[in-house]
Amino acid sequence: MADRTPGQNQPRITRRGFFQKALATASVAAGAELLTGFPLVWAQRLKDITLLQVGGSYSAIIDIARQATKDLGFKIEMQNAVTDALVNRVATQPKSLDIADIEYWMMGKLLPRQVLQGIDLQRFKYWGKVVPIFTKGEYPDGRKVSQQGVSPYEVQYLEKPNSTALAKGPTRWATLIPTLYNADTLGIRPDLVNRPIAHWHELFHPEFKGRAAILDVPSIGIMDAAMAIESRGDITYGDKGNMTQEEIDKTIKILIDLKKAGHFRAFWTTFDESVNLMTSGEVVIQSMWSPAVTAVRARGIPCYYTPLQEGYRAWAVGLGLMAHLSGLKLDAAYEYLNWYQSGWQGGFIAKQGYYSSVPETVKQFLTPEEWNYWYEGKPAQSEIKDPYGNHMENAGHVRDGGSLWERMGKVACWNTVMDENRHMVRKWNEFVAA
Amino acid sequence: MKLSPRIVPYLQVAPLTAVLLVFLGIPLAVVVAVSFFDYDDFAVRPAFILRNYLELFGSSLTYTLYLKTLTYAAVVWALTLAIGFTVAYFLAFHVRTFLWQMALFLLCTVPFWTSNVIRMISWIPFLGLNGIFNQTLITLGVVDKPLEFLLFSDVAVVIAYVHLFTLFMIVPIFNSMARIDRAIIEAAVDAGANAWQVIREVVLPLSKSGIALGSIFVVTLVMGDFFVVKIMSGGQSASVVLAMSNEIALLQYPPAAASAVVLMVMVMLMVAAILRLVDVRKELSG
Amino acid sequence: MQSRHGANKRPWSFYVLAAFFTLFVLFLYGPMCAIYLLSFQGPNGGLTFPMHGVSLQWFAALFVQHRTGDFAGSFLRSILLAVLVLGITVVLSVMAGLAFRRRFVGATLVFYLAIASLIMPGLLVGLGIGLMCQLVGLQPAWYTSALGAQLTWTLPFGLLIMFAVLSRFNRFYEEAARDLGGSAWQTFAHVVLPILLPGIIAVALFGFTLSYDEFARTLLTVGPSNTLPLEIWAMTTNITSPALYALGTLTTVVSFVVITAALTALAVLQRRRAQRRPHAAVTR
Repeated sequence: MADRTPGQNQPRITRRGFFQKALATASVAAGAELLTGFPLVWAQRLKDITLLQVGGSYSAIIDIARQATKDLGFKIEMQNAVTDALVNRVATQPKSLDIADIEYWMMGKLLPRQVLQGIDLQRFKYWGKVVPIFTKGEYPDGRKVSQQGVSPYEVQYLEKPNSTALAKGPTRWATLIPTLYNADTLGIRPDLVNRPIAHWHELFHPEFKGRAAILDVPSIGIMDAAMAIESRGDITYGDKGNMTQEEIDKTIKILIDLKKAGHFRAFWTTFDESVNLMTSGEVVIQSMWSPAVTAVRARGIPCYYTPLQEGYRAWAVGLGLMAHLSGLKLDAAYEYLNWYQSGWQGGFIAKQGYYSSVPETVKQFLTPEEWNYWYEGKPAQSEIKDPYGNHMENAGHVRDGGSLWERMGKVACWNTVMDENRHMVRKWNEFVAA
Repeated sequence: MKLSPRIVPYLQVAPLTAVLLVFLGIPLAVVVAVSFFDYDDFAVRPAFILRNYLELFGSSLTYTLYLKTLTYAAVVWALTLAIGFTVAYFLAFHVRTFLWQMALFLLCTVPFWTSNVIRMISWIPFLGLNGIFNQTLITLGVVDKPLEFLLFSDVAVVIAYVHLFTLFMIVPIFNSMARIDRAIIEAAVDAGANAWQVIREVVLPLSKSGIALGSIFVVTLVMGDFFVVKIMSGGQSASVVLAMSNEIALLQYPPAAASAVVLMVMVMLMVAAILRLVDVRKELSG
Repeated sequence: MQSRHGANKRPWSFYVLAAFFTLFVLFLYGPMCAIYLLSFQGPNGGLTFPMHGVSLQWFAALFVQHRTGDFAGSFLRSILLAVLVLGITVVLSVMAGLAFRRRFVGATLVFYLAIASLIMPGLLVGLGIGLMCQLVGLQPAWYTSALGAQLTWTLPFGLLIMFAVLSRFNRFYEEAARDLGGSAWQTFAHVVLPILLPGIIAVALFGFTLSYDEFARTLLTVGPSNTLPLEIWAMTTNITSPALYALGTLTTVVSFVVITAALTALAVLQRRRAQRRPHAAVTR
């Protein structure tokens, strides 16, 4: 596994150089702390530990595990699972994994089941550097982040390490350490849609009949629909991420009418379906994920991730510690959490289009061009490549939507699980069966 | 060691029963119990309430789903039966050596050793608007524009089902046909029956148990599926188990369990009906 | 139907049926064509047409575990598990099938237990077994809980196929063997088993294929390492690469090689047996 990004980009500091220097220093002064913060003696005791992280394939990537194992000295293993299986596994088989790599909205379902333990923020080195969306629920300029849906700040803190009650403000105990997040919007084929798209309601525009698609996950699909419906003016929601029963009924009715009128080509389940639908032109406007847009463009097909006036639908993923971790394994887990946010992982996933919650450390692991492109929204000065050296973007391209805060600063709602999710699932099933 | 012939059946059936009791019996009992539990957003609470069942039976969604799934089952059953019977007939009566029968069988099985998931994904480049099938049709001049209904539709779902499950019909029917004594057929031919009469009067009745088993397989598989429907219909069709999987995704176990119990009762009735027409077990011990 | 006299002449129905069979095989292999073609997809290409150049890159990608998933590892696990399931299913199904030839207490219950096993939705079987493991303190793993879960799927199939096979089984052969002085084991091994062999092969094939393709039951019982279907499905929330298709092509090629070898061996064996005993033709 190369420790530099393949290709001609030269990071300012290589990871191996970084850690080797630290190791050299430590071995000179016995007992001195390594970068990751534990003495050599302890490192010996931890070296037989294995931690299993289970998460989605966009987050729990094997390359990260390999690098972590190399840098930390004990073994990290990754397993991928789809969202449904993941949340069921964490809830019903908590002892079968160590680190839960889950989305923030899952906390509502998992917290009462007491399968995770509170994370002691005093043992996490970077909490002060985490973007304030998570730590304070506000943007750097002081505005409050939208709380529609399950915003991470709402479920970030606990009263006590093992309580099931969420704290209203910052405390010492966290539910998850935020790792990656992004703002999602609609993807379009600018060559087939010959006008600028500026509002969510365009998703339902009759001009795109038979050429639209949304995601086939009940809790997300309905949010995209709600954004479009509210933008069109049909309904004004109290909280799009937590609808009342009547709001759900009305939303689903609109969706059923659209479906019967043949407005949707398909609802995509897998990442590739969304890419294929866009690439083949079967669909010209759809909910999409950021890397999918990039994948379409990498095939030479124009695709634009449109910033819309009403804002983005955002999501965030974090690492949680399972309740059964204790003793040495728990120590290893904290070392892993600290390593995770020390920058390598952030640099890796930045090239898939995801933001890290600690951008400062990521900066050291990206070239200045990459940092400017992915985070600052500046035009790419040279070809942008993915972590494996494959072409992603041409020089001169600007990231759709701009910089980190131009995008994350306009979050309208977060991925969610609603209070009325029982009713919502039933209604969604009706919609699918219609 | 001489074993009393009375004990032998019990010993023979014990391992299978043990495995099924542990790995099926316990989950089944849990599911039935959970179907009576109460739940809210936070936990599943042991109770004995009928609300899950009442909601299930009171909702028109249930009936829509069952109608949809049963329609799929009926159509797929008819198609797999027609195709399966014909193929089994060909293999049993027109292919002469055992070796060739094996070879042709295995030829049919090889696609199944490419994982289901891969094959599901590959339907898109095959049936899609730019896919092989449409391009072939256009090149041959059969149609002008690509056919949209081939993918992300009910037609696509049925095609995928038939593709996956015909083999389950072929194998039992072939087994039944292979056991038919050729002498009976020769006698019928000698008595002056033509091919259709032989099939109707001799082959069909003697393959009854194979047809019954194949039907049980196909019906069960279709009723219990959620994956094929989800992918091939592009999320536009539902089945009973797909609705169930949406509930499980949000940890809503009691209604999912109630749904499962109702489904099992329904399919059990269908299987019992098939077995009433053809008593497989009687043929076994008779 | 074959005519009585010209045993080597094929009736017209043969050609019609053969044509039908060919169409059927083409239907089965149809989507496979997409797979075979796309496995040679160029480096920047995706899962659908058009092809962006031709390369063998995706075959190579199979053996390196990186972002595109641990195909090699999960593939081996799937194969091993399928072989285990095959073995256990064959043994248990044959034994149970033989048991059902006699009436015994609880026969109906076992039969309906098997049917229930067939119709219970796999997701819930998996969920239940996972819960069970948690309660008992056992860690789910692919060779324990997933194995058990998959057996609940394959055993009913095996049992029912044995029913079909045994329903036409002529007891006279067994009794004749016994009359000639054979012990129970000899009767079983040398008379019953060879006659049941096609059925047993069917059970074996079903057991292997059903296990290899199994998804719903395995989803929640697999423990810390995925089987192939789960690994592929998990990868679909990220960019899936044509390495998947390369896998499909490879398995097909390997299967054909294995089958050809096995059938050739079988043909050679049969010819040798016929040569040794020219008077005892093996009729079917």
